[in-house]
Amino acid sequence: MALVRTPVAAEALRTPRRRTTFIQRESTLAYLYMIPGWSILLLFMAYPFFLGIYLSMTDRMLGWPGANFIGLENYRILWNDSVFQQTVRNTAIYGIGTVPFKLLLGLALALLLNRPFRLSRAVRAGLLLPWIVPTALSSLAWLMLFNGVLSPISWVLKDLGVIDQNINFLGSAWNARISLCIANIWRGIPFFAITILAGLQAVPNELHEAAALDGASKVQRFFSVTLPVIRSIILIATLFSIIWTISDFQLVYVLTKGGPANTTHVFGTYAYQIGMGATDLGQAAAISLYMFPALALGAILLLRYVRRED
Amino acid sequence: MTDERISRLLQEATRLRYSRRQVLRRAVALGLSVPAVTAALDRSAIAAPGPRFGRAPAVLQGTKLTILAATYFVPAAQDFFVQQAQQWGQENNVEMTLDFVNWPDLQPKIGAAVQAKSGPDIVELWDTWPYLYYQSMVEVNDLANKLGEAQGGYFDWVVKTAAVDGEWYSIPTGNSTSAFAYRISYFQEAGAEEFPQTWEELFEVGKKLKAMGKPLGQALGHSPGDPPSFVYPYMWAYGAMEVAEDGKTVMFNQPEFVEGMKIFIQAWKDAFDETGLSWDDSVNNSAFLSDQISATLNGNSIYLAALKPEEEGGKPEIAEDMSHAGYPAGPAGRFNNLGSRSLGIMSYSGNVEGAKAFLEWWASEEQYQAWLEVYEGYIIPPTPKFIELPVYTEDPKLAPYAEVATYARNKGYAGPANQNAARVFAEYIIVDTFARAVQDGDAEAAIKWGADRLERIYGR
Amino acid sequence: MNIVGENRLWSRIWQFYVPLALFAVFLLFPFYWMLVVSLKPNTDLFETDLNPFLLYSVTLDHYRYLFEETDFWTWTKNTMVVTVGATILSLACSILIGYALGRYRFRGGTFLGAAVFLAYLVPPTLLFIPLAEVISRFQLYNRYWALILTYPTFLIPFASWLLMGYFRTISRELEDAALVDGASRIQAMWQIVMPLALPGLLSAGIFCFTLGWNEFLYALVFMGSGEMKTIPVGTVSDLIRADVYFWGSLMAAGILGSVPVAVAYSFFVDHYVAGLTAGATKG
Repeated sequence: MALVRTPVAAEALRTPRRRTTFIQRESTLAYLYMIPGWSILLLFMAYPFFLGIYLSMTDRMLGWPGANFIGLENYRILWNDSVFQQTVRNTAIYGIGTVPFKLLLGLALALLLNRPFRLSRAVRAGLLLPWIVPTALSSLAWLMLFNGVLSPISWVLKDLGVIDQNINFLGSAWNARISLCIANIWRGIPFFAITILAGLQAVPNELHEAAALDGASKVQRFFSVTLPVIRSIILIATLFSIIWTISDFQLVYVLTKGGPANTTHVFGTYAYQIGMGATDLGQAAAISLYMFPALALGAILLLRYVRRED
Repeated sequence: MTDERISRLLQEATRLRYSRRQVLRRAVALGLSVPAVTAALDRSAIAAPGPRFGRAPAVLQGTKLTILAATYFVPAAQDFFVQQAQQWGQENNVEMTLDFVNWPDLQPKIGAAVQAKSGPDIVELWDTWPYLYYQSMVEVNDLANKLGEAQGGYFDWVVKTAAVDGEWYSIPTGNSTSAFAYRISYFQEAGAEEFPQTWEELFEVGKKLKAMGKPLGQALGHSPGDPPSFVYPYMWAYGAMEVAEDGKTVMFNQPEFVEGMKIFIQAWKDAFDETGLSWDDSVNNSAFLSDQISATLNGNSIYLAALKPEEEGGKPEIAEDMSHAGYPAGPAGRFNNLGSRSLGIMSYSGNVEGAKAFLEWWASEEQYQAWLEVYEGYIIPPTPKFIELPVYTEDPKLAPYAEVATYARNKGYAGPANQNAARVFAEYIIVDTFARAVQDGDAEAAIKWGADRLERIYGR
Repeated sequence: MNIVGENRLWSRIWQFYVPLALFAVFLLFPFYWMLVVSLKPNTDLFETDLNPFLLYSVTLDHYRYLFEETDFWTWTKNTMVVTVGATILSLACSILIGYALGRYRFRGGTFLGAAVFLAYLVPPTLLFIPLAEVISRFQLYNRYWALILTYPTFLIPFASWLLMGYFRTISRELEDAALVDGASRIQAMWQIVMPLALPGLLSAGIFCFTLGWNEFLYALVFMGSGEMKTIPVGTVSDLIRADVYFWGSLMAAGILGSVPVAVAYSFFVDHYVAGLTAGATKG
């Protein structure tokens, strides 16, 4: 993916590499660079991570001594559990109903913010707010807006004569799902926008100008010039957004706790309900880990793709 | 300003020979800062500390004690508890740390503590929780039985919910309970001079109330407080229960209950605010206080909030026009769901003796009663000893709260409030049975679903 | 004004200002609501005769309550210490990992990169239970280090992948050219690639910062007593009492807890980055 081929660089490509000392070798440096981050992860993640996998194969109750190894029994029970099946469906709806919107809207916003305009600093800061406000508190604001009786939205619409009954934002299955998706999209757009915006800074202006001189339209320029540069960024941001969305907890917990009648339970809230409320650690671990194989595979494939690209 | 009020209080105390505790109670009632008053008391050396019960043995001197509890609805009572703990700590030279969290956040904190085997020495437990955590707690039979006997014996709902098969791992502290808060004038307008005595009568009145634009309000979402305080009693009133006395045979799918559920499905449309499916514990409070609903099941927090001065968001006209009533009856009788909270000592604690000494002192008659009084009747005590206190009887509008404790059943009835009952509660199975019924309009299917879920848990 | 100019203005309005305005309305609407609630007297809050989105009288009581009756300053200080600490630590680790993954070829690279990410697949809602054991073994309970060291576990995977993506947007030739000129690999990294990646570094930094700033569960569980609480934990545990919410103060805390960060961000990004990157590409 050669972008700016200066004569020097082109020459460098043809020049055979200098002999490098051990410390100058790419692989040596790469391993060295891995050390600090990996030590933290090993210290604080390795044990909890493997314990989590082990727990999912036991009947361990929180605070009780001992546990029996029961293999994949928890996974089998969940497979046949109607609430868990519902949770899987809800989570899929939640993911499909949010990630594409966050991505497209975030991309659009990034392209808008990438243009120079007056007050751009203030606007950029302002539009970042949904991401910065502590979720514990912004979800409370949504809780007020989605209130069944005292929602200010219903209130104003009633006053204007648009509706004559309060909107039942969170009180029926689809209303609640849509409301959750809206709040989630709201919180997620700035993430995509800022990530992509930073990527856009690396797109050289000269290329755009050259393409424009060749008569390429704005849309053509986006696909031929801009997109190739930011493609990895977009893929990575999307992968993380998928993970965050399907493991979301706080927003759903504050707004519905999985209600009404489990129609909005996602993995996070269901695992929490079983693990913390009913103290069944084994089954809670199995709930959280159900998605593990699919996500792990997705992550490996994406990483391969991104690293191989050029 | 505040200083002036404190010094006026101190003058009053000298004149009327208040005890230290009386001064502090006055301070709370006047809205003064308790620490400031304590400091002033210490400086002035009037109102010397009262008799010292439960003085800890000398070996505790210089130790530490951490308490984890849920935030109080009545802030003055929380301040008072802190004050009590600090006072005991000073007298016994024990360093006290108090940690309050929003109550849905208690379980993760306790969970992490029992797993890590470190954290607070004393934790507050909700009903059914002692069964979940007792393996990590210190047995306190001596202390609990001594306190219970001294105060006339624990209520049955306390023994069933705070003890683990008769063994005590925590000291019961009572709990808030629900009764119907309702608007007198709206009920009169709908033709009810008195609050209805049965659920069906209530639903009939409710129809008229909803037609007037002031429906009944009931939460049916996933929320741990208000939805269970309706669904459990209604289930019992229509002859169903989670499980028989053996704790194994599910008794949920009863013909009488199916009929009751059909009545409720109709009533939900005719008499209730249908957005209740999404309400959490706070919505009915604000809906009632902003004149959107005519009746709802709740602790006395709505009334206490309405009584506040207007500039603090109080609603004197609503406080005037509201009253409380006990639970209506169904064909099988009149029931209420109640379980006691409790304070227990964690077995990993390095200061079990100190924790016991503190609990013994705090749960003693004098300290506990003072705490109940500051709590303005929000908490129903675990023993009959205090039920006649003025905080429960003084205001006739609050009388139903003490009364509903007399027909209370535990979660998991007719079995104990054990791990299984806790799981049914945590998974909102009873609540969701009702939510499904009103969503799909199919009483049989909803109850069958609930029975299947209960079978999975109790049948294990 | 000629017709071409007018057309251009109109197209700019339609293609730029209108979409931007729509975004602003959607993204700021809940925030506006928070602001209104934080300034509204309690008596007006659920008053059905008034338009809820307007202020009929303004009060600073909720803010005053926050400062006088709660430990908001202490919470802010704690949140600041923890978040800055965790951000610096995570960013430092992630720059190195991201750089290695994005620009070096080495055996096992994909495996090590994916493994960093795998840690992400067990959600914190469950992970905090075994993590609590680790925290207590290292005697970190109720200390800043408990959070400074655990936040990186969910910041590093994300930040290193994101940085890997940014490092890959920067062309390899520049670095190669520097190597030919006799720079060492480390010099090439710091002097050539880093300045170009600065927008990416800042966006990774701001994400670490906000994720840390917003974190709730670990802060709740690993920090015990009142004077160690962070803003999200402190406000929720002090301003929600059983079934009564202190709406005004909760929303005030949300606003005070986010506006300074947004302002700092805009300052950083536009001043600092624009200047540096412009310089770097010109040179």
